[in-house]
Amino acid sequence: MTNSTHHEPPAPILQARGISKRFGGALALADVDLEVRPGEIHAVVGENGAGKSTLMRILAGIITPDSGSIRVGGDELEGGPRAAIDAGIALVHQELSLVPEMTVAENILLGAPPTTAGFIRSRQLKSIAREALDEIGVTVDLDEPIARLSVSLRQFVEIARAVARKPRVLILDEPTATLTPAETDYLLAMLQRLASKGMAVIYISHRIPEVFAICEAVTILRDGHLVERTEIASTTPSAVIDAMVGRELQLDLQVRRTANPGDVVISARGIKAPNVNDVDLDVRAGEIVGLGGLVGAGRTELVRAIVGADPRTAGTVTMTVDGRRTVIGSFQSAVRAGIGYVPEERRVDGLALTMSVSDNVALPNRAELSRASVLRPKAISAFVRRLADVVGLRPPAITRDVGEYSGGNQQKVVIAKWLGRKPDFIVLDEPTLGVDVGAKAEIHRLVRELADNGAAVLVVSSDLPELLELSDVIHVVRDGRIMGTLAQSEADEKTVMSLASGETLVGA
Amino acid sequence: MSTAEKQPQTTMHLGAARGGWFDQLKVTLARRTEGRGLALLSVVIVAAAILEPVVFTSYQVTLGRVALIGLVALGLTAVILMGELDLSVASTLAVSGVVMASIPDLWLGILAALATGLIIGAINAFFVVVVGINSFIATLGMLFALRGLAFVLSDEKPVRLTDIDAGIAFGAPLLGPITPRVLLFVLAFVALQIFLTRVKAGREFYAVGGNRQAAVDAGIPVRRRILTGFLISGFVASLAGIINTLERTAADPTAGSTVLLASFAAAIIGGVVLNGGRGSVLGTLIGAFSLGILQIALTLSGVQVDIQDIFIGVILLLAVITDPTNLRAALAGVRSSLRSRERAQTPV
Repeated sequence: MTNSTHHEPPAPILQARGISKRFGGALALADVDLEVRPGEIHAVVGENGAGKSTLMRILAGIITPDSGSIRVGGDELEGGPRAAIDAGIALVHQELSLVPEMTVAENILLGAPPTTAGFIRSRQLKSIAREALDEIGVTVDLDEPIARLSVSLRQFVEIARAVARKPRVLILDEPTATLTPAETDYLLAMLQRLASKGMAVIYISHRIPEVFAICEAVTILRDGHLVERTEIASTTPSAVIDAMVGRELQLDLQVRRTANPGDVVISARGIKAPNVNDVDLDVRAGEIVGLGGLVGAGRTELVRAIVGADPRTAGTVTMTVDGRRTVIGSFQSAVRAGIGYVPEERRVDGLALTMSVSDNVALPNRAELSRASVLRPKAISAFVRRLADVVGLRPPAITRDVGEYSGGNQQKVVIAKWLGRKPDFIVLDEPTLGVDVGAKAEIHRLVRELADNGAAVLVVSSDLPELLELSDVIHVVRDGRIMGTLAQSEADEKTVMSLASGETLVGA
Repeated sequence: MSTAEKQPQTTMHLGAARGGWFDQLKVTLARRTEGRGLALLSVVIVAAAILEPVVFTSYQVTLGRVALIGLVALGLTAVILMGELDLSVASTLAVSGVVMASIPDLWLGILAALATGLIIGAINAFFVVVVGINSFIATLGMLFALRGLAFVLSDEKPVRLTDIDAGIAFGAPLLGPITPRVLLFVLAFVALQIFLTRVKAGREFYAVGGNRQAAVDAGIPVRRRILTGFLISGFVASLAGIINTLERTAADPTAGSTVLLASFAAAIIGGVVLNGGRGSVLGTLIGAFSLGILQIALTLSGVQVDIQDIFIGVILLLAVITDPTNLRAALAGVRSSLRSRERAQTPV
């Protein structure tokens, strides 16, 4: 590696010991250690839900751990976000935390601008902000409101803000998720520059090539547990991936179902919408089509445009079932034609959290559960009980509020409500996001069963193993376009990622 | 690894290139939020100049009306910028007017009225920040309670001011068209403009309204900022109540009943977004001018008050609909509903 201090490791600047955290019943972190030396770029890797973000939020003082200790430069860290900032820990959030209507300079020094008697010293504000931007080597108009910047530029402003606090430990959580390959290259070079000046960098990423390009050591998490901590020089990408996913999932990969696609059920032509550029897409009966790509590539927008949940600016969608053609316009017409949609934001778009399971499941099935527009409670209860059994809701208490259930069970309720309609076409957007491992396997089983029973299925997932496992065909989306289509046999992590992130993978 | 050895480029230019003064002007304009307010104001001014030029020759009347609508709207803007609402402003105006007139000494009365405004602001903030009630509901409750209080305190009839001469003197112009009312309005505008653009606490209003989580993470005392906002709004509303009382030499418990909606309209026309984080007091000023000129022009043309309200409603809706993002969404909505109708007629 480029760092010469490697042979004689200096004392760690950050030491986290035995960090544990529970959210409700779910274990997020169990006895995790993390150690980072000054001038080191340290990768923290793991699948979605492995606990990376939780660990980082604990380091930044945003969440209090149930047990464990954090030392920065030998001193115990206690207290909230302010204390962490003062101790020299700066976190670049995964969700951007900038104020849209304030300027670049104001955002970089949010909460702590230089003042005289309460008045902001605007010239000094700008010079400090410019210094931070120079430090990371990005030029932006300091007076530009954040709302007018591109997503990737916002990411850089966010980093400048962290750097302006002159941190000893800089934490970046998936910083390249929304960047182009060129910007990613730039960011990685920038991190190496910062590290060479003695800053410790904790780098969270799904992208193994990036980790191997710039990091010196890696901490691997799985399901909230520390799997191992190792020097990059003494490991290989495939060993890291194995440690990340564990053996069970790898086995799971091999039980891919054999697809037996029938006729085209859904046919989308020339779909245009905000962040969607002219997409054609077919899904056949009994087929599971996967949409891969990076966060922000336009997949959610695409599926919402297809089912009519958001307006399209151009394009048509037709659905053909048993020789009957229907044009899908509004979402209402989509549901009437037999389309089910499991949205990404289940707590916002998919469920009425303060209503019971039974009410939620009955919602899209009101027509068959009522007589002369009056709902029949007995029919509903039998109907919902049957579906709760099918999806494996635990506990199957259908009169409880949906909000009281865990994420996995909530997702089962969303799926149950569409199952009741026996959809001919169902869209699932990130079906297992924030769902525990057991529920995940059950949801996968349900998706497969749907396809086996002849439904056309479209799955959006950022969880690569899941996407590879479920899909018969994978379309990879970037910048609102389908950049490539991979058959089940040719799809693997590498082919999907290289299509998703553009031609060149950094350092690979 | 190639990136490691390669000498990294020192800077990366990602912002829009800035050319001559024309590009600069375009950029500056695009950053502002007052565009629609300004467009509406120009339309109103041109229409008034052609149809009812008296509006501008009797500018004294027009300015007075603008100040009436605008003052309360300015205070309201501070609260709306944080994504909160203050529906109690008109009732605050009435109560503080009655409090002032009930106290024989003029200056003591004025001080008591201002204190009333601040206390009401603090109570609003208490409900919103400490109890955690939605500000719409909290201030709706205050709207009713304070209006009732104004009636109780005044015994349901106007309270005459003891020092009537002071009131008469107050209504007289100081210099040219500048009456004390207009002067106070300008002062309130300047003070708020400076507060919200130059002072740290004022700038942080935008953070509280634009991204509350980010504000909390950055260590901004969000609750104290919200308190400040309600204090400003209450203070300005009581100031308006004092001015009203002085000009009429009496405090009417029904005073300001039309002010509430007009001041919200002024802020919204001026580009202040109800969700918070976006807008400016300059915009509110522009909105107040648009509404004030429109009202006076309609009054001078002999249009009845009820019909004037229809105009204001239409202008308000126009201002909101012509927001570029709203316009796009509305068009797409119309288009997709047309399309689904088409489909319904052709069952294939």
